[in-house]
This record gives sequence, C-alpha cells and structure tokens, in this order.
Amino acid sequence: MSLTTKDSILKSTHIKHLYQRAGFGISPKKLEKLSGLKKKEVVKQLFKSSKSITHLYIPTPDIDAFIQTDTPKSNPKKFRELIKVSRSKLKDYNLAWIDKMATSNEELRERMTLFWANHFVVRTNNIVFSQRYNATLRKYALGNFRDFVIAIAKEPAMLSYLNNQQNRKDKPNENFVRELMELFTLGIGPYTEKDIKESARAFTGWGHTFKGEFVLRKKQHDFGEKEFFGVKGNFNGEDIIDLILKRPECAQFIAKKIYLHFVNDVPNEDRIGELAIVFRENYSIDAVMRYLFMTNWFYDEDMIGQKIKSPIDLLVQLKRTIPFSFKKPKEFLYIQRLLGQVLLEPPNVAGWSEGKNWIDSNTMMVRLKLPSVLFMNGTIAFDVKGEFEDSFEDFNKKKSNFNRRLTVTKNWEVFHENYGHLNYEELYHYLISTTTNKGTQEFLHSLKKTNKQEFCVQLMSLPEYQLC
Amino acid sequence: MKRRDFLKNSGLASTALFVPSFVQAYGATGVIPSHKKIVILQLSGGNDGLNTLVPYTNDIYFKNRNTIARNKKDVLVINDSHGFHESLTDFKSLYDAGFVSVINNVGYPNPSRSHFRSTDIWHTASGSGEYLQTGWVGRYLAEVSKKPLGAIEVDDTLSLLMKGGSINGLATKDASLFYKTTKDAYFGKILDKYTASHLSEHNLGYLYKTVVDAKSSAAQIYEKTRVYSSSQEYPNNAFGKQLKTIFEFINSGLETQVYYASLGGFDTHANQLNSQKRLLEVYSKGIAAFVKDLKRTGAFKDTIILTFSEFGRRLKQNAAKGTDHGAANMVFLLGENLKHPGMYNKPDDLVNLDSNGDLLYEVDFRNIYASLIKEWLETEPSSILSGKFKTLGLV
Repeated sequence: MSLTTKDSILKSTHIKHLYQRAGFGISPKKLEKLSGLKKKEVVKQLFKSSKSITHLYIPTPDIDAFIQTDTPKSNPKKFRELIKVSRSKLKDYNLAWIDKMATSNEELRERMTLFWANHFVVRTNNIVFSQRYNATLRKYALGNFRDFVIAIAKEPAMLSYLNNQQNRKDKPNENFVRELMELFTLGIGPYTEKDIKESARAFTGWGHTFKGEFVLRKKQHDFGEKEFFGVKGNFNGEDIIDLILKRPECAQFIAKKIYLHFVNDVPNEDRIGELAIVFRENYSIDAVMRYLFMTNWFYDEDMIGQKIKSPIDLLVQLKRTIPFSFKKPKEFLYIQRLLGQVLLEPPNVAGWSEGKNWIDSNTMMVRLKLPSVLFMNGTIAFDVKGEFEDSFEDFNKKKSNFNRRLTVTKNWEVFHENYGHLNYEELYHYLISTTTNKGTQEFLHSLKKTNKQEFCVQLMSLPEYQLC
Repeated sequence: MKRRDFLKNSGLASTALFVPSFVQAYGATGVIPSHKKIVILQLSGGNDGLNTLVPYTNDIYFKNRNTIARNKKDVLVINDSHGFHESLTDFKSLYDAGFVSVINNVGYPNPSRSHFRSTDIWHTASGSGEYLQTGWVGRYLAEVSKKPLGAIEVDDTLSLLMKGGSINGLATKDASLFYKTTKDAYFGKILDKYTASHLSEHNLGYLYKTVVDAKSSAAQIYEKTRVYSSSQEYPNNAFGKQLKTIFEFINSGLETQVYYASLGGFDTHANQLNSQKRLLEVYSKGIAAFVKDLKRTGAFKDTIILTFSEFGRRLKQNAAKGTDHGAANMVFLLGENLKHPGMYNKPDDLVNLDSNGDLLYEVDFRNIYASLIKEWLETEPSSILSGKFKTLGLV
C-alpha cells in the first residue's frame, strides 16, 4: 500500500478519472486549473470544495402550515389533500436534486450523498421526511459513520419505512434491526436470530411525531436487560449500534461497498481489506475516501472507464455538459423511469443493484437514443407503467403508445463556452473515458466533422459513453 | 453456472456470458425444450379477492363490510357459499367450461403490504426477508431459453420478473416501433464496425452484446409478426391491446415462452365498488377474447394463463368505502389441461386471521411456480427457485 506517488504530478487522464468517480465529470476549465498539480494537492482540493454543506429544500408552505396547527385527525379532508400535494412535491424535489448534482461545486459531497442514499435506503411519500432525510445524508456524507448510523436510525423516514414506529415493548418489530445489520452495517451472516430479537427490544419506543421529529416513547421502550453478541446489558439503540460497529465485519462490509461503487464491479479482497483497516480506525468516511483516492491502484489503467454509469449519473453528466431542462418536468421523470432509476423511488430497502443490472435491451436502447432525444429533437417510444396508486384511467392514460418528441430547452452556449476551444480529438477524449473499440474509432474518424454539437451528440450516443 | 453461484453473483461478471463469438450467441436457434407458453397477468395494486369471489353466506364477511359487501343477488353464484363478482360473466363461462382453476389463500410467510416490496417478492420468488436481483422468469431465461427473446413483457420497461442477471427478457408492446428504434442508422454503423474482440472487454463487451441482442430480437419479432394481425375483436382498452399483442406474438410462431403484462388500478382504498366493477369487467372481457382467439388457432392447449395480484385486501373495509392492503389472495390459472378445474382448495372461512386482520396464506405462491416450471415447462424447479418447493399437480 505504498503512497509513493502522492508527490508526483497527477496526469490529466487521472484527474478526469478521479472526477468521474468522485464527482460527475470535470470541465475543461477545471481540468486546466488542476493540471500540473501533485496528486496530494488535487485530492486536497477535491475535499476542500466539499467541506461546506449546502442543503436542498424546496418550499412547501401549505404542508408546513398544516403540521404546525393540525393533525390528520383534526382535519382529515385537508390532510388527504396534502398527501397529494406531498407526492407532487416529491417530484419537484427529484428534479431539484438532479439540478443540484449537475451544478454544485461540492461535487464529492453530492456524489457521496447519492451513494449513501442507495445504502441507507428509504422511500417515503412524505416530502417533509424526505427533505429531512436528504439533509442528514448530505450532512454526514463525509462524516463519522457511527454518528451517521445513529442519525439515520432516528430519521422519521427510516422509522416509518422499516416499521420501527410499530416496534413496542409488548410487541417488538424486528424489521429495522434486521436491515440495520444485514444491509446497513454487517452484511448477511455475523449475527443470529437471537441477536435480532434482542436488539429489536433496544429500539422499542423509537418513533417520530407527525411533525417529523424523533421521539423516544418511554412507555413503549424496553429498559430491561438484553443479550447481544454475547454481551449482557440494559442496552438502548445507541449501545446496539456501538456493539455492531465493534465487529470487524462492519468496516469490511462498508469498504467493499465503497470499492464496488467507486472503483470496480469486481471485488479485490486485498484492496477492500486496505480500505477496511483505514475505515475501522475511527469510522471516518472522509479518511477512507481520502485514502482511496490517494492509492496508486485507484488510477490503474484497467480501472479507468470500466464502470457502467447509473441512469442518474448519466443524466447528471449529460446535464453538466449541455445544461437542459424540460418544459414539462414530468417528462424528466418518465425518462428516469425508462432508464430504470427514478431518484427517491428505490425498488426496495436493498436499493438499486448497480453495474450490469442497469442494462437490458430496453434501457440500453433508451440510453443510446437519449442524447438525440434531448439535444437533437429526436423521438422516443415514450411510455411508462402507471403507478400502483393510479386509477385505471390514469394508469392507462400513461400508456398511449406513440413516438413522442419531448420539449427540451438546451443551453448550447454553455457547451460552447466550456468545450468550444477543443478540437474534435480533444472533445472525444473529454467525453469518452474508455478505450474505444477499433472499428468504432474508425467509424468516428470517417464522420464528417463539421459541427461540434452534432459530434458531441454522436459521442454521447456510443455504448462507450455509458462507461465512466 | 450453478444456481447458487448465480444467485450470489447475479450482477457481477459472469464468464459464461462472454462466448467467443457473439454472432453464434444470438444467430443460432437455441434449444427450446417445450413449445408451451405461459402468460402471466398481474392485477396491479392489489385486487380485492373477497369481492371477486364473494362468500355470500358468510356473516363475518357482511359484518366487516357494511357498505361494500355484495349479496347473493349481486353475484354470479357458483356454489352454495360463493359467487363471482357480477362483472365476471365471461370469465364465469370459462370457469363453467372447466378452463379455470381458482387457487385460494395464496401468499407467503411474513407478508409485505408494500406494493413495491410484495411485487418484488412475487417477481423474484424470494422469501419476505430475502432480496434477489433476478426474477424467476429471468432465471428461466438464463438457465433454459438462453436468449432475451424467450420472454416478452408487453410494456416499454422491463420488470424485475424478466431480469435474469446474464440474460434479460425484452419489453415491447409494439413490434414495429421497437424495430424502428433499433434500426437507427447510426447504431447500424457502429455495430457494423463492431469486432468480436470487443467482447474481451468486461462491461463494454456486455453493452455491445446487449445492443446486438436487442437489434436481432427486434428484427425477429418484427419479421414474424408483421404478416399477421388478429381479426378477433378485443375490448378497446390498454389491457385488451396487450392481450391482442400477446396473441399475435404467440400465433406468429415466435419462440417466446413467457409473456407478462399488467393491468393496473386495483389499489381501491376509496369507493371501491365502482372502480373494481369496471376493472374486473376489463379483465373478464379481455380474457374471454384472448381465450377465444387462442382456441380458434389451436394454441390454447399449449397456453397457461396465470393471474395474480401482489396482495389481497383487508377483510375489514375502511371509512372511505374501500379496502386497505391485505395479505393472502387467490390466483387464477386458465388453460385446457388443468388437473383441478374449479376450486383447487376451499376459500378461507374468515375465522382465523392474522394480527392485522388479514387472510392467512395456505398455499405458498412458489409452489405454484414450481408446478408450472416442472409440470408445464418440464424444467427442474430447483434450478430456478431458491429453496425447495413441492409441486401441486396443477397442470
């Protein structure tokens, strides 16, 4: 695990690679600024720009007013109305989040927030809970993992998603602790059914108010003795989390997840072990990520341009290159659905499975068509399933089958400003990280290159562009 | 690839995928062990089984549903205790003719009441606490059909049901549109230049192979189906169109064995009577046209239609004249070769419920899958399902 090259100058392909994985790509201007700097310095700057935390809130005045003065019981009619408002606000929030990822300078923090959102997975129809949850993800994205887990365990979105609201002394509900161990900290294996039963008792009475604040309901909390991992004590939820974090499996589990997400789909046990040692020291996410980006192997030739972009990654990168927006925001959600990832709507508590799981014949065709649809007024077979809650009419309204042209506003000026000075060859190297198939390369050469916009869209329509 | 490894590694690299010549992988006709078809229909949102097959003499039923219960005079009586919903006239004719098996009280241990999660469970054939990344049909593709064309979802996005890790099914409800999409001149140029050496590249090879597969499957579907169009009248709604498409696909001689479509709108939390009435009518009329068409061409004997919902609904109605998410529910099997036409087992007597007041399951849905896989598709269920599930002798 030598860090001998920390003082050497980071090649520009490596800076690009770093920003592909730790952020959402890099602009030529920024690359120029970082060129010639030592690796240590480049990594330092990456972290420095993410030191600040800029939260993301959208206005929800009606809902805010209601929760201050009313409850579902006091005004059920208004409440039902606001459930609908909340669902529509979540769609706005989806778009606002994507916008943020596409424009923020806190790139690493945004990338980590997205990563943790697919680790501590929740799904909620409550916009208040959702925004709160997002703020917690962003706050701890590079923080201390212990504090993070405790904060997550107290989030109303999590408490309601995994039924801890129903976890009571006389009738424990094991859903939360089961996922806490299996999906959030340890992975399958290092615990028994008895550990689950006992630890569920420690979280009894952990709930939330209607307003969305954590509350310990003492009457429902089991203050008695529990035996967990062979240790006895009158444990509460925090104690259980501490005992879990004492297990070496925890750092190993998180390190593996980080490796698979940030480095390569194929696990490498030695490197994962390296990360786990660093992480376990004091569970600093900042430290383990810094370590990762300082290793030599992160920049190995066969690591670059090998990962399949998630749909959100793809959309954010497209947006960073050529800013775009939809006349009807709903259309952007449809695109996400067609690609197989709607932000804030994970399939289940295990989250989206990444890598090749993003790809099937249909999502692949959408990916290849997408740039021309967004930027060249192309058409797309544009139908998606209705939602479970939809009535029959709504469900089917979404199913009228025709090739639709979306109304997209694109900002080519920004593109020209950022990329205009590049020649075609340079543009190619900017947008494509992987080594291109020889035949494809020849084909690209043969293209008449008279228009940079067109060439850019052609590059984005390659299978190669799907990799980062 | 061993099923166990495959379940563990799904999502990771599979060496079996990268055969040296991709051309062979899709060009040659795979071995199809059986020409049998399964059509899977999901009543999405959670159909209320208790108002679909009404226990019109059961006091408990009436006590719990004071405004939405159906009386004997409202239903299509099939025996001295039960009757089908009034909208199911055509469906009842099929039932009377012995083409329907009703399997009651189907579910799984620790049922989830989330649409998403429970749909996942039904699609992946997992247990309640188990998260699989592939669907059971997808695994059948990976194990048996070995090609995307083995299963088609009549929609524009692919459900987890159809994903097999190394091989995924296809989603299309318009063969010519799908074909046109893949026929884009630009893609054609790129694929023309494509070399087999590309396949040595881990993820990039997979992406290229997926495009090649999509293109070839789209062409096959289009070529086979464009000459034929059904003259049978289907109800003029989305579900009717989906069934018509499935019929045309089957009839064109496509090698596809599994079809999947969903009919949405069953999440009847409020004013259930009207909406369910309309929905079941759409279902019943659509199915009747579909079966009539299949019979006309002789394809019905080789087709089984499975209808399920991700869950049933609560016995006790809510204040909004609707019902909330429940647990166990019935499954319909339609076909000419049923071993148990009529009631496979008795509907629940509503005396014993779970702690939420929901129906308890008696038949694990995976036993139904196991039966269809073994008895209909003539494949060993243990290679598709995780865990051992006995077959029920259904077909």
